[in-house]
Amino acid sequence: MSGKASGLGHNARRLDARVKVTGEAAFTGDLVMPGMVHGKVLRSPLPHARITRLDTSQAEALPGVVTVLTGQDKDILDNPNYGHAIKDRPVVAIDRVRFVGEPVAAVAAVDAATAHEALNLIEVDYEELPLVDTIEKALANDAPRLHDTASLELGLFHGLGGFQPYDNICYYHKIRQGDEDIEAVFDGADIVVEGEYTFPAVYQYAMEPHTAIAEWVEGELTVWASCQHPYLVRAELADLFGLTPSQVRIVVSYLGGGFGSKSYTKMEPITAALARKAERPVRIANRVDEAMVTTRRHNMTCRMRTAATADGELIAREVQFWLDTGAYADNGPRVVATAADAAPGPYRWQHTKIDAWGVYTNRPPSGSYRAFGATHLQWVGESQVDEVARRAGSDPVAIRERNLLRPGEQVRPGGKPLDADLVGDVQKIAALLDWDSPKPPGVGRGLGVGLLAAGAHPVSSAIVRLEADGTATLLVSSTEMGQGTRTALGQLVAQELALPLEQIRVPGGDTRLTPYDRSTGASRSTTLAGTAVQRAALDVREQLIDVAAQLWEVSPQAVDIRDGAVWHQKESMDYPELFLKYFGLAGGEIIGRGRVQPSLGKGTYAAGPYFWEVCIGGVELEVDPDTGRVHVRKLASAADVGLAVNPHMVEAQEMGGTMQGLGNALFEEMIFSDGQLLNSTLLDYHIPTTEDMPDAFLSILVENEDGPGPYGLKGVGEGALAGAPSAIANALADIGIHMNEMPFTPERVWRAMQASGDADE
Amino acid sequence: MLGVFEIHEPETAQDASTLLAKHGWEATVYAGGTELLVLMKEGLVHYPHLVNIKTVPGLDGITVDTANNSLEIGSLATHRQLETSETVKERLPLLAEVEATVANVRVRSAGTIGGNLCFAEPHSDPATFLMAWGATLELTRGDGSRQVAIEDFFVDLFETAREEDEILTGIKLPLLADTTGGYEKFTTHERPTACVATVLQMKDGAIDDARLSVGSVGPVPIRVPEAEGTLRGEQPSDALFEAAAEHAHDAADAVGDIYGSANYKRHLVRVLTARALNKAVAQAGRKG
Amino acid sequence: MSAELNSAVERPRMPIRLTVNGRVVETEIEPREMLLDFLRDRLGLTGAKRSCDVQVCGACTVLLDGVPVSACCTLAYEARDRKVTTIEGLEVDGKLHFLQEAFISNTAVQCGFCTSGMILTVSSLLEENPQPTREEIRAHLRGNLCRCTGYWNIFEAIETAIEQQEEGRSE
Repeated sequence: MSGKASGLGHNARRLDARVKVTGEAAFTGDLVMPGMVHGKVLRSPLPHARITRLDTSQAEALPGVVTVLTGQDKDILDNPNYGHAIKDRPVVAIDRVRFVGEPVAAVAAVDAATAHEALNLIEVDYEELPLVDTIEKALANDAPRLHDTASLELGLFHGLGGFQPYDNICYYHKIRQGDEDIEAVFDGADIVVEGEYTFPAVYQYAMEPHTAIAEWVEGELTVWASCQHPYLVRAELADLFGLTPSQVRIVVSYLGGGFGSKSYTKMEPITAALARKAERPVRIANRVDEAMVTTRRHNMTCRMRTAATADGELIAREVQFWLDTGAYADNGPRVVATAADAAPGPYRWQHTKIDAWGVYTNRPPSGSYRAFGATHLQWVGESQVDEVARRAGSDPVAIRERNLLRPGEQVRPGGKPLDADLVGDVQKIAALLDWDSPKPPGVGRGLGVGLLAAGAHPVSSAIVRLEADGTATLLVSSTEMGQGTRTALGQLVAQELALPLEQIRVPGGDTRLTPYDRSTGASRSTTLAGTAVQRAALDVREQLIDVAAQLWEVSPQAVDIRDGAVWHQKESMDYPELFLKYFGLAGGEIIGRGRVQPSLGKGTYAAGPYFWEVCIGGVELEVDPDTGRVHVRKLASAADVGLAVNPHMVEAQEMGGTMQGLGNALFEEMIFSDGQLLNSTLLDYHIPTTEDMPDAFLSILVENEDGPGPYGLKGVGEGALAGAPSAIANALADIGIHMNEMPFTPERVWRAMQASGDADE
Repeated sequence: MLGVFEIHEPETAQDASTLLAKHGWEATVYAGGTELLVLMKEGLVHYPHLVNIKTVPGLDGITVDTANNSLEIGSLATHRQLETSETVKERLPLLAEVEATVANVRVRSAGTIGGNLCFAEPHSDPATFLMAWGATLELTRGDGSRQVAIEDFFVDLFETAREEDEILTGIKLPLLADTTGGYEKFTTHERPTACVATVLQMKDGAIDDARLSVGSVGPVPIRVPEAEGTLRGEQPSDALFEAAAEHAHDAADAVGDIYGSANYKRHLVRVLTARALNKAVAQAGRKG
Repeated sequence: MSAELNSAVERPRMPIRLTVNGRVVETEIEPREMLLDFLRDRLGLTGAKRSCDVQVCGACTVLLDGVPVSACCTLAYEARDRKVTTIEGLEVDGKLHFLQEAFISNTAVQCGFCTSGMILTVSSLLEENPQPTREEIRAHLRGNLCRCTGYWNIFEAIETAIEQQEEGRSE
């Protein structure tokens, strides 16, 4: 069997496809541990209040209830607060609730029905506090402070550069380039485009809600968690409970989607705390309405202006934006920083002035969601670029050809230079849309391009075990959440060891067994974990060659590997035969290890990001002038992937990402009123269905081998999501509909048409 | 999470009614459960006694009463049954068309038309359509049945003319000759934002009689007599339909909520009315 | 362990007999027990998933006498004396259903959480209508959400499967 059929560039069958189509694939909620009891969470009905009385006695007395956990259980935790960026968040509310949905108590009981009943028996009295439910209210001079910021500790993975929160500001980030006095630049510019924009709170909706099972055995904690970053969760839990990291074990099954909603810690702390008190394994599974108030996408207010010359040379961009991080920081600071990186757009500016704030409010916490930052800002920036083009008498493609950065140029001061052919990507999207062909009346075309700082922190490791039966097991802690990471990483092993993918096993992450990987997210796994995986596989390969060379008494240079065997001229031994000869029995093992880490201040690792992910999309659409409903005819995507390990899987990611982007752009919106989420079920929060699909999806893989991963590959998966809304905004503007408020619901589009006099009203 | 309840299995509609009377506010009718169970799971209501009327035989029939020229539908006929019924497709195809748009195939397979009407959730396709077409509902209790015109059935959202101990057992639709109709809905969420149904009786190319209903935008579906009056006796034309649509717009008792502002919903009603009328006329043209 | 810890609330139970994936099951249920929990927790058939819990997403879809239902909103009681088919029942003697094969070979599976419901719903459509148009498929699947795939490959899988079945029939 040829290893070539499974290696790079092949549309190998996914390793997990069969178990998923048969229903055998185990997700965290499918697992049952001996003695496991069921946990449920009592959540605050108020957005901001002091807890004046909490009586759990009746709940505790209900037969079948094992225990009830509250914020008063201080001996359960070593630290009352957690948070990977800022430790601002209690596991269970202590004396105050800051958002509707905040855990106030947790019950463990013999079954779900009893646990639910017990929740109803918990008595809580609240004294309402002034409501700070919007960015505006949070920024007001006399706004109540949601946190005692002076006493807030930074988290283990803050990356904030020592920023200390103040007032209701969770984080502030700025970027400066060029002149300090940017006002003068704008005053003197021929073209100035400016506007104010709002972007909605959006729910990631991974179809599997957060689930965790926690068990304490002899003072050590095991959590089966639907989490994307097992090692980061491990570190946070250890800190929370006063353990060393290796006293905590995180086991990850398949995730039913992640998209960032399961990054860092979510339900693990409360589940672990409840299990500690219950002295039994406890499983907690969020409902969808609970998942919605566990984490969401930041909503945003933004002011931007763009200056250009009369003929369309971009000069300056100034942006201020505020991201509503909700009651607790979660990944807010990172989202703010990444959004700031995305705000200028990938252009050759003379001056940029970016100011970004993460703001605390009495709303559910906001955290990661696929393409964060880029999705927030790209549609704003790209709509301004298109407006510049219109005023300059230029064309969206031409203005970008002129102003886009080229590979090697600086994206932001101190950061990694551009490593992608953006002009080429734009031209490819234009070609997919048949850009220069005449448009039927009422049809708009648009495209948008941007960059996402990808890769997160470059620390990953991998182990490859080659066994006597000729199969390999890859131990790596990347989380399989649908993107196909187990398969892609398996294919890298297949490539180096010339084995078919069917002979490679890639089990799930387990921090007791699979080695350290920083996280699964930021489009980093194939690139970074992949580098570690490739190194591990190459380590095995080298050992195989050495062993063969010894056995054949030839020089290693004379030994080759292909088709699952070692070769010397015309002689070959398949791996089982080699093992038998070398180890003297049908046993033994050859183990390879690989690792990637930041190099010491030099080279590609130190100056972030690890790579710039290209976020590009193209759209052709039309609008029903009577209702404002947008109908997308074509949705185009270019996956600038360096090299596609598995082209079908890459395309599949593009397809899914663009649909999420379409949903974000056209109808997805969490609607709050006085801190209450009004649409907390899928009846009222619309997720794209088969009937929301565009007429056509066009995509292209761009393989310039310009990424930092093995064979020049780099990550994708997020760019498609950010690209779609920017393309939709520009396609609408193309037919005279200028949108400043997302999502572009039928009503909003209709109103915009009324305002500009386009509709027959 | 559902609270504890008992399921009763009456063998007749009268028995079901007796059970409802006996348990009062602690009992409710349980048919498809598509609305009821969701509400009970969310803890918004609880009933210790569910009266399962699916155990009463003969309530799910779809038959034509040739003597009275009407279509008789048992209240337990599911949306899916109505959508796929050869009888309905042949004799009242617009009903099949409307039923096919309800929710999704799973809800249609379990949900009954009777349950939909009695639950009186405002965003109802069947309710809107039946208001336009005209229907008579049979309500049964221990001591007999009464007939209620659909116009008198919806009182307010989640409130109908059905007494606590009555069971909706049948729905009768007239099979009108030379009739055409059109149904239009606008949906952005799971339930429709606005629905308009129109039923026209044509004669020599003119509209002899017209009925128009608007649903989903307000607490109950309504007829729009002003629009109907405008259409009666006239030749179809864009101007005529615009005028009718304007009446529908004005009459729509729209409430602003997450589905849209009242203003926009009224606008949708205007748009859907013109479209429904055009559809009806085009349909008539096809029938020749 | 559950013997020591029982809720004091009276929980009336009723006997039930049903067929699940071809095998007869006789046991007792509470009237309020949901079919989804019955299948997952009592029978260990975890292929059907709980997601939205309000009949919108389809992740909990099982077939009741061949008809797709939302197991999250269907009482187990409703399955009495009826036949339930879950995703686990599609594979026969280790041989995958043609739809399962098609989903694998057309990259129509990503996270897999929607997959059970999606495949069962399509299988029931094809029983009724072996050659649906794309629009018919689209309408039939409007109640099956997928957050990962954007649906394109799911359509590919279905249409490929239909073609192959058609070829098989004409041979």
